[in-house]
Amino acid sequence: MFGLRAVSPGDPATLMLGEGATAETIARVREQEGLDDPIFVQYLDYLQGLLVGDFGYSWRSNREVDVMVIERIPATLELAFAATVVALVIAIPLGVVSATRRNEPSDYGATLFSLLGISTPNFWLGLMLILLFGVWLGIFPTGRRPVGLGEAIWTLVAYGSVGDLLTWLRHITLPALTLGTYFTALITRLTRSGMVDELGKPYVMATKAKGLPAVLVRYKHVLRNTMIPIITVLGLQMGTLMGGAVITETVFNWPGLGLRLIDALDARDWPLMQGVIVFIAIAFVTINVLVDGLYSALDPRVSDE
Amino acid sequence: MISDRITANLRQTFRDSLLPKIGMLLLVTIVLMGVFAPILATHDPTRTGHYDEGGNAYPPVGFDYTTQAAVDGEIQEVHVTAESAHVLGTNNVGQDVYSRFVYGARISLLVGFTATLLAMLIGVPIGLMAGYYGGRVDDTLMRVADTMLAFPALVLALALIGVFGESPVYVPDPIVYLGLADGMPESIPIPGTVTIVAALVIWVWFARVARGEALSLRNEEYVKAAKSFGTSDRDILIGHVLPNSITPIIVLATIQVAVIILLEASLAYLGFSGTTLSWGYEIERGQDILRTRPWVSTLPGIGIVLTVIAVNLLGDWFRDALDPNLDEGQRGA
Repeated sequence: MFGLRAVSPGDPATLMLGEGATAETIARVREQEGLDDPIFVQYLDYLQGLLVGDFGYSWRSNREVDVMVIERIPATLELAFAATVVALVIAIPLGVVSATRRNEPSDYGATLFSLLGISTPNFWLGLMLILLFGVWLGIFPTGRRPVGLGEAIWTLVAYGSVGDLLTWLRHITLPALTLGTYFTALITRLTRSGMVDELGKPYVMATKAKGLPAVLVRYKHVLRNTMIPIITVLGLQMGTLMGGAVITETVFNWPGLGLRLIDALDARDWPLMQGVIVFIAIAFVTINVLVDGLYSALDPRVSDE
Repeated sequence: MISDRITANLRQTFRDSLLPKIGMLLLVTIVLMGVFAPILATHDPTRTGHYDEGGNAYPPVGFDYTTQAAVDGEIQEVHVTAESAHVLGTNNVGQDVYSRFVYGARISLLVGFTATLLAMLIGVPIGLMAGYYGGRVDDTLMRVADTMLAFPALVLALALIGVFGESPVYVPDPIVYLGLADGMPESIPIPGTVTIVAALVIWVWFARVARGEALSLRNEEYVKAAKSFGTSDRDILIGHVLPNSITPIIVLATIQVAVIILLEASLAYLGFSGTTLSWGYEIERGQDILRTRPWVSTLPGIGIVLTVIAVNLLGDWFRDALDPNLDEGQRGA
């Protein structure tokens, strides 16, 4: 990542100072920032900084990169969380219904929906939702995040007012639907195919023979066994969720990490861009470890190996 | 390589269900549209300035809209009607939406198929060798693969493009070259960096699947027999291991074409594609005028959805017919 910075066009000193800077000022800033050092010296400096939590300064705004990254985390987390909730709440019942009523109209409906869901680019979906719900129907706002979830909960607890929470809900609805649709579709497909396999297994017949109610069996036993592959896939799809968040944030002007990354890229603001990417990388390693843990919690056989 | 049993399976699944037929019909239509774009297009897709007298973009035929414009120094409501020469209207810089729609198919399909092919060429040999030889090579590969699979492909692609720039490759258009379509652009810009970057973020999926196959095949009797005859590892890999692992690779490739088409559209939407003839780019351009001229963003999106649906339907067909064990987890990016 860092090595590539050396070959990229654009002089950072000029970028920091703007086009009108004199040659002397540029030279002085290059000196100060160590930009004249060989690239590996710069790299070692950067790594040394990372170890003590120093991500450097943004070339564009001259603010500390770690602050610029951290302040954007809540918005992205809220969005990812809301999208996952949307996906799970819609997809699992849909998949179960689809699997238990195979080749009935509800199954065809669910299949068609999930095919559309995995085939629609989310930025376009976002724009269409804006057009439908924002412009024509005027039900939901079409962008921005005037209040964070944290503040909204605080006003609820401290002042007993639900106003902020409602504002937050109204603003996050369309972004969450936009980001969540792909996952809803994917989980519906997974739940359906997993349930179909699982329902054919002998133990399901055995529970029927014991006289257990079908609904109980379906949700307690069959769904639980189906969840294992679903969680694995969701773990693998975390990257897609983050990628989707980058786009969704751009469409809705949602001030999260993704929007910050796009802005940094547009401005060729390398320290900021590196900061965001290093942060995302650390976050993903952590998520992977957590998903592995969840996996063995759901299926005791995994930890036996 | 492809046995009779496989072709028979494919044929039977195709005959038995409706969805592969729809997918095939859609994809053939879109491919033909892309190939013959210069003939099908009514205007040069890059030519700007198709406006009415007031400088307003035309709506699609059958629609009209009102906008505000300065007439004799005063702001007035202006009624804009469709123009039959521009069936699907024009965009905010006055380009013909229908012609751009037709050309957009080329970029999506070219990037989708080229990048998948590239990713296969990188991933399959590496995966086969890792699985076949095992040991340290294999361990290293799986570490790299796990890391890459977990990382957001879009973010990786953005970072790579941020570094290398978004250089388009201009390819001469054979149809225009042959003189079959006058007045169309002589060359079309293909997003070169995007194609390579897409292959670079996708290849690990192929490496993983190929590795898994090679791992199980290396203990097969016929591989051991070939080895005992003194056949070289290279010949065993090409002659025995590759042909027997080709079906899951084909299934995976179909899914990845869809994934890459979406990735290219996303990158173009974010402004990092390097070509302006892409559906994704056109959607971005329509975003600012979504309220007044929604058709600019809407139509290219329908193009993307139909293309991806077509590829996904064929992917489902291949999977059902060839390799029921491959699951949704293989859907990358």
